[in-house]
Amino acid sequence: MSQLKAEPRTILYFIWNHFDLLNELFVEQMEKGYIRDTSLRNIVSKYEFDVRDKLSEYKILRSINDDFEIRPVIFQLIEFVQNEFKPVLPETIEKYGFSILSLFRKIKEGINGDKEILIKRIEDLLSEVRLFVDSIEKNTTKLLSETRALKSNLEKIDYREKVHRASGWIEHYIIPLNEILDVNQTTSVTNQLHEVAYYVNIKRLDTTDELIRGQFEKLYSFLVQTNDDLIRQSKLLTNELLPLIERIKTESVILTGWIEFLKKPYTARVPKVFKTTMERAYNRSFYLNAKEYVEQFMDDEPVYFSDEPSFQEKWIFNRELYRVRMESQLPIDDFFGWCQNTVKKDFHLIDQEKFFSMVTLIFEDDLIMEADEKAEYTTIKASDVIMKVPKVKIDRHGIS
Amino acid sequence: MEYPKGHKHVVKELLDGKFVLPSEPLYQVVRENDEFYTQFFKASFDYELRTSAEYCFLISGESNEMLSRDICIFFGVLCYELDRDGRNFLDEIQFSEWDHERLDRYFENSTYAELINSNKQLRDKDSRRTFVNSLSRRNIVEKHAEDKWTFTAAHKVFIDFASELAKNRIREGV
Repeated sequence: MSQLKAEPRTILYFIWNHFDLLNELFVEQMEKGYIRDTSLRNIVSKYEFDVRDKLSEYKILRSINDDFEIRPVIFQLIEFVQNEFKPVLPETIEKYGFSILSLFRKIKEGINGDKEILIKRIEDLLSEVRLFVDSIEKNTTKLLSETRALKSNLEKIDYREKVHRASGWIEHYIIPLNEILDVNQTTSVTNQLHEVAYYVNIKRLDTTDELIRGQFEKLYSFLVQTNDDLIRQSKLLTNELLPLIERIKTESVILTGWIEFLKKPYTARVPKVFKTTMERAYNRSFYLNAKEYVEQFMDDEPVYFSDEPSFQEKWIFNRELYRVRMESQLPIDDFFGWCQNTVKKDFHLIDQEKFFSMVTLIFEDDLIMEADEKAEYTTIKASDVIMKVPKVKIDRHGIS
Repeated sequence: MEYPKGHKHVVKELLDGKFVLPSEPLYQVVRENDEFYTQFFKASFDYELRTSAEYCFLISGESNEMLSRDICIFFGVLCYELDRDGRNFLDEIQFSEWDHERLDRYFENSTYAELINSNKQLRDKDSRRTFVNSLSRRNIVEKHAEDKWTFTAAHKVFIDFASELAKNRIREGV
């Protein structure tokens, strides 16, 4: 790489002065992984000066074939100041485990070897641990902000897409990150760091060389701090991030189901619900069941019944006929008995209408009535009623 | 033959189409005699007894499909509207106390207005009151007062249905 020809302050001033433009390029690269030539032109054209030459001269941009990318050091600077990180796949983070393990072995092997190399290895180990912790923090921070954004769903992401994203984050980020941080797994990076801390703790006490002891002391303090940081990150993952993502996933699955169902609610197969077969009048639900039953008829069309002609023969009392017959038999000792016998003889059955029609003959003129108050009442049985009547004697009025 | 204690009550409740819940002593009777009751309902009525850690209920060969469909529409609309309102709908249904005014607000402002209006059980305030009473009779809601209720664990039968439906559709790639 050719040397920078500009003063550091000039470059920093350029970054400060054109930060908005750089930020747009940063967003473009975050989204697509690179910056297309056309995108670069479009973004630059929005600003007053064409700074494309300066971007190359200050080694801010690097060309890759026809496209561009922001150099990693500048990209990380913008990431850091914006607190806007792109999540790194855990397999990328896992590489720190290998480099830490490798340096740790070299330190143990060369503990009595070259002093300067040992010090350099301790410094490098500290640097690798720092990068490892930074990567974990960046990932959890980014995943948490993305998850919260997904939960609030201001972008109006489709529920299926939410399920897809949440499942992907769990599978590709959260679970592998948990494995890296899981102290109970012998191969986890956290567990390796514990092993390193145990060794460094001994060495910071028993190393005779003061300079090396100081380096071990520094590394040990950093590892203790790192342990606290990793525990915090692990808790964040398991107590907040994972339940939140699981929650989004579950809710989104359920809502996807309901939306699918509500599209065609009358065609989908629904859960079986027990069909009751017996309704008792004394059931506690009787009122509501009865109400429900009655309500189903409330919207029905009214039904009208027309009066049907009656074909029943109408009986008419032939008053004259019976008056003559009664008068021919006067005096009659028991008028009601006579009525009963007459109806029975002519009609076989005694009904109220015929019986009382016959009784009206008592109101004929020229009749006198006489009742024996001491005599017992007579019982007359009609088809639909039983009557108790006094014994009444009738005769022609005056001298016969 | 000796029957479990509370047998008559267990049979009555389940035959009334109720979900028997862990908060009721009967639930324990059913769970402790799981095998007996499974066989009993199968042999006596050809009904299937379903038990879980959260409820027991019977399934008949002939299902009350209309009620089930209305319950699904009810929960579907409610979950969707709660989510649209920015609520954690699972928490709201599981833990929150409900009243008719709140329920009516969600149904009256729903995006599924057409579907709601065409449904006899859900179309207006009165029908929704009757519907909640139906749910109460089945122990899907527990009433605390005339106008206050909570949903019991039985609602999960319908939530699980939605979840399974989505998984099947996603699997089928529909």
